Amino acid sequence: MATASLPIRQEPRISAGLPRVGEFMRWSVDHKIIGVQYMVVALSFFFIGGILAMLMRWELLTPDVDFFGDGAVYNSAMTMHGTIMIFLWVIPMIGAMGNYVVPLQIGARDMAFPWLNAFAFWIIPPAGILMLLGWLVGPAEAGWTSYPPLSLLGHDGQLLWAVSLHLLGISSILGAINFIVTILNMRPEGMPLFRMPLLCWAVLATALIIVLATPFLAGALTLLILDMVAGTSFFIAAQGGDVLLWQNVFWFYSHPAVYIMVLPSMGIISEVLSVHSRKPVFGYRMIALSSMSIALVGFTVWAHHMFTSLTPELRIPFMITSMIIAVPTGIKIFSWLATIWGGKIHFTSAMNFALGFLSLFLIGGLTGVIVGSVPVDIHLHDTYFVVSHFHFTLYGGGVMGLFAGVYHWWPKITGRMLNEGLGRWHFWLTFIGFLWTFLPQQIAGMMGMPRRVATYDPSLLIYNQLSSLGAFVLGASALFFFYNLGWSLARGRVAGGNPWRALTLEWATTSPPPPLNFYEDPVPYPNPYGYGSDAAREYLDEQQRRFPAALEAPTDEGSTSASLATQPAGTSAGSSAGTSAGQQQ
Amino acid sequence: MAEATAHAHHGPSPQEQAENIKFGVWLYLASEVIIFSVFITIYAMFRAQNPDTVFHVREELGIALVSFNTFLLLTSSWAMVMGLRAIQAGKQRALMAWIGLTALLGTAFVGLQYVEYTELAHAGVAINNTNASVFAGFGMRFYTPTAFHGAHVIIGVIWALWVVWRAWKGRYSTENYVGVETFGLYWHFVDVVWILLFTLIYLV
Ligand code: HEM
Repeated sequence: MATASLPIRQEPRISAGLPRVGEFMRWSVDHKIIGVQYMVVALSFFFIGGILAMLMRWELLTPDVDFFGDGAVYNSAMTMHGTIMIFLWVIPMIGAMGNYVVPLQIGARDMAFPWLNAFAFWIIPPAGILMLLGWLVGPAEAGWTSYPPLSLLGHDGQLLWAVSLHLLGISSILGAINFIVTILNMRPEGMPLFRMPLLCWAVLATALIIVLATPFLAGALTLLILDMVAGTSFFIAAQGGDVLLWQNVFWFYSHPAVYIMVLPSMGIISEVLSVHSRKPVFGYRMIALSSMSIALVGFTVWAHHMFTSLTPELRIPFMITSMIIAVPTGIKIFSWLATIWGGKIHFTSAMNFALGFLSLFLIGGLTGVIVGSVPVDIHLHDTYFVVSHFHFTLYGGGVMGLFAGVYHWWPKITGRMLNEGLGRWHFWLTFIGFLWTFLPQQIAGMMGMPRRVATYDPSLLIYNQLSSLGAFVLGASALFFFYNLGWSLARGRVAGGNPWRALTLEWATTSPPPPLNFYEDPVPYPNPYGYGSDAAREYLDEQQRRFPAALEAPTDEGSTSASLATQPAGTSAGSSAGTSAGQQQ
Repeated sequence: MAEATAHAHHGPSPQEQAENIKFGVWLYLASEVIIFSVFITIYAMFRAQNPDTVFHVREELGIALVSFNTFLLLTSSWAMVMGLRAIQAGKQRALMAWIGLTALLGTAFVGLQYVEYTELAHAGVAINNTNASVFAGFGMRFYTPTAFHGAHVIIGVIWALWVVWRAWKGRYSTENYVGVETFGLYWHFVDVVWILLFTLIYLV
């Protein structure tokens, strides 16, 4: 059986060195390279989507159309913002986190299908560019939900939008198949399913939803594209089509998809909360299984997006399922609270963002219950209340969790720590800016401000100006983040193998890990969250000795290069390890 | 897919990787099932609501040609199974012959489907019939799933030829035939989808 101790007296190792920049710019089948590729692409699109948000909020500073000059331009900005944020930022970010961390966490050398993994990634950049090219031929303007008949009346950009989304869907299906096979089939001995880290559970649940839900989108998009180019009329009511068909199929995909966007972040914060408060996860099984039940129930709620367009008899059943899905989420929230309860909380940036997730996602979830109840939704449907609600879940939930993940695993990925001071600035500006932006929108929404328009009633001016100012703070906060990433690469402290003293396997190797991840066959610690026991402390001390941030007694120049000499060839350059002192939390 | 995990002592063993590949193909087929079910559901709803239109089409169509075509596809699935048996018994040439036959029958299927499409087009069943036509609304709901299926057959034929080529290069053996097996899974899937479409469109 698995033992808790590392093999005795191994040479200490500092770092396998970062791969050269060129390695990230070309085809590679190494899951770590691919993970970084995903992350760079996703962050670039986050930047673009963010700029669009700033422009929209600038337009909304006044009740009339002025900045954009034409309401249609606002609509296209809104459409591109939504689509980019979802399909080119949050979803590729799952690929980033999942790719980099999951194989390491289960002690695998790579994903099950490395070639397929690379292929799935390389679909994304061309698809993203195709989406952006829409600006040249008249962009999509029908919102990220692309309801016909509106989406059939638009410019050619609408077609590019659909084709691009189709490609992105294929990419994420292929990626998800890879995750499922990897997680279910490639765990080492000593790691049964119920000892698997919670991030893996979350990615598994997400991947299952992707495989079973994304094809609905693919089917719907195929028909939409045929309507555009082949003269069919699946969605044209005047010629025997059915507009509600799109709404049904689209939401049959897209409601499960909102869990695609938040489940990975739930997995991330399950890791972060436990590690940074030095306490075992409370209710491990409940957290793992609630991910699965969210995945299942997620398939039964789609029509709550259509309370106002569907036959009224169907409202109550879908309201009930929508309320039910709050239950597993509630279980998670209480388990997380119990996890940090009485713990030794370290307010690292990763932890701050995880706590931010807890508070903001809670509001997102509660507003979800509000719009999920039919009588209220009849009033709130398509208002800014909904805009506020889904930003609380997507940004306050999804994106906060992703930030927590980046702060948590960045040292593993690059071998260098991020700046905690900048991290704190980033967090507080995000947190405050976020509430500042999206709370006034709730009021505007309740007062009846419709979404997806560039103009509004002058009586709503104050809420919109508040919201816009908040948005600029929120936009500025992201600059601290990007600056921090650059700062860390240039000046960051060397991280060492396990800067957070975490028990999961990704930390049982150097940062960054060597090409095949581990130096000998990895043996998982029996309980991935067994913090606070003497055995865990010993295990971590031994690990600290094996993968230190610096050698304890540097003997001239010889020491680092001696330990690096045993590494695979070509990785010794670029590692300036051994210059700064080893560190504890 | 397999060559990238060539780090023999680190990655999964060949048997484990074969299991991984089969599992992956099953998941892929699960997602295909869903795309097809979208198209099939749309046809079924139309069928339920417009029995008259479907009746008119059936009058034009006749069932002889498509029944023969279905027979061809079923036979091809049988040939495929024989091919798999052959390689399990280590018979390379038989493998090539059977899978070659599979490809041939698949090609014939696509050819006859083309003939059927031409006849339908002559009869006036188009992808964009107007409301005035007796076939209104039928064409697009018929051509989309069947053409999508036809595309799968074409890809299957290419896949079969690739299997033949690899067999000719001696890549398969009694131990290593997962490449044939996965093709078989796919081909059976294509077959099953056709039986569903055939039943739904031509029989009920
Ligand atoms: C800087 C932060 C952000 C600001 C200020 C912002 C602002 C906005 C605004 C003004 C709209 C248009 C509302 C309307 O006219 O109906 C919008 C829509 C949207 N946003 Fe954001 N947003 C931000 C971040 C995000 C993030 C991170 C995501 C997702 C991860 C996201 C997802 C969406 C979606 C899906 C839409 C809906 C588009 C549609 O109606 O089709 N946003 N956002």
